[in-house]
Amino acid sequence: MRVIIIGAGINGLFVAYELWKRGIRDIVVIEEKYLGAGGSLRNAGCFRSSFTSLEHVILMKKSIELWLSCKRELDLELKQSGYLWIARKLETIEVFKKLSAFHNEYGVPTRILGVEEAGQIQPGLNKSIVAGALFDPTAGRMPVIENLVKLYLKLRSLGVIFKFHTKVTKLTTSDYRVKSAITSRGEITGDLFIVVAGGRGTRELLATVNVEFPVTDETRHPIITEPYTEIVKPALIIDWDTPGAPYVTQTEHGGLIFARNITDIHEAPLTSHRVDVIGLTIKPIIELLPVLKYVNILRYWIGYYETTPDHHPVYGPVYPYENLYVAAGFSGHGLMMGPVTGLLIADWILNGRPSISIAENLTLERFKTGKLIKEIAIVG
Amino acid sequence: MGEKAPIIVCRCNDVTLSDIISAVESGIDDFEVLRKYLKLGFGPCQGRSCLLIAARIFAKFSKKKLEEVLSEYKVRPPIVPIPVRVLLAGVRH
Repeated sequence: MRVIIIGAGINGLFVAYELWKRGIRDIVVIEEKYLGAGGSLRNAGCFRSSFTSLEHVILMKKSIELWLSCKRELDLELKQSGYLWIARKLETIEVFKKLSAFHNEYGVPTRILGVEEAGQIQPGLNKSIVAGALFDPTAGRMPVIENLVKLYLKLRSLGVIFKFHTKVTKLTTSDYRVKSAITSRGEITGDLFIVVAGGRGTRELLATVNVEFPVTDETRHPIITEPYTEIVKPALIIDWDTPGAPYVTQTEHGGLIFARNITDIHEAPLTSHRVDVIGLTIKPIIELLPVLKYVNILRYWIGYYETTPDHHPVYGPVYPYENLYVAAGFSGHGLMMGPVTGLLIADWILNGRPSISIAENLTLERFKTGKLIKEIAIVG
Repeated sequence: MGEKAPIIVCRCNDVTLSDIISAVESGIDDFEVLRKYLKLGFGPCQGRSCLLIAARIFAKFSKKKLEEVLSEYKVRPPIVPIPVRVLLAGVRH
């Protein structure tokens, strides 16, 4: 069998890695642009399992375990320095308590912090406007490009074939099987299994086999500063009570990344920078951490949350085709889900079903049956 | 190359010629990936002093054309670092 993975982002690479570990040797990864060119190299590099749906909590918890074992296997870098969710309002603490009880029930050790404890985790916090916090010590961050390159070089050394700057324009089918992938550089045939991990290209490609993939590219506007010595101690500080939940994280290189969910035109282009975004995003964070008013803004880019109707990814077989699978629509959580994506898609291809049964709730079928998943803690 | 002292290509992030050569030798075969990996053009100069030099070095070692090497490169605002205070004036939320 030959596995064609469409998309050389973090999820496509982890699918390749897991399949290789289970004995598959003929693996080809096809990418329209360059390694990580979609969401994989546009995100803030953070991960957590403290979500508000059972699907996300269970899968992300597994994914963090797998990230940690990959850290050893592949010599990756990642640090569990925690997420600090700041409440400005007292009533938010009650919401946090319910969330934390839910997390704790499923093994994610979040806890409620008083103002003083929050101030110990993040020195310089403006305690006069903080009511308390929720802390997730298992969440963290990583230098994304370094890890992505290590995984890529490892896969190449294992014999996985990569074809960059090659666009898959169409899949051809007959008798409910994909027969070939037509690319900008020729047609690929064989005893194929196709995995579409194509980020925002997934919708267009699946349309060529008459499959509707309900995803909308919602813009996000991250901003990075010049590098500084360590200022932000946890992996992420989130201002929960400000609309659009602004956050700050500090990269391993020292740059502070700010972002906020700002209302924007749907599917606005990657070049539609807005002059108002920087101030809107950073002002609330400066209220929480006043020392940040002295930073210099270096660069501002746009990325997409490839958002599904229920903000959860789409995994698994693409009916009615026997040899077509999808892993896309991560809704802003693609980096953190990479390793568990590899596990689940390899399960589906080789065993016909996922080893973590709750993942079956995430197939494309849910949009037909109406069994959508509810998630309320989307950040940034 | 037999260099004795480091040859600095990117002065913002201290990237040397040998950093570029060893990254290419390790298997990084795309300039956008190299640029992100070494943070070339990610410092306060935003690539104005280093990028063309780095692109030429990469083109030479990867035997690609310069325009192909730079085909994915995009300039991003602001052009020079701006103190955040300047951008906060008049912001309400």
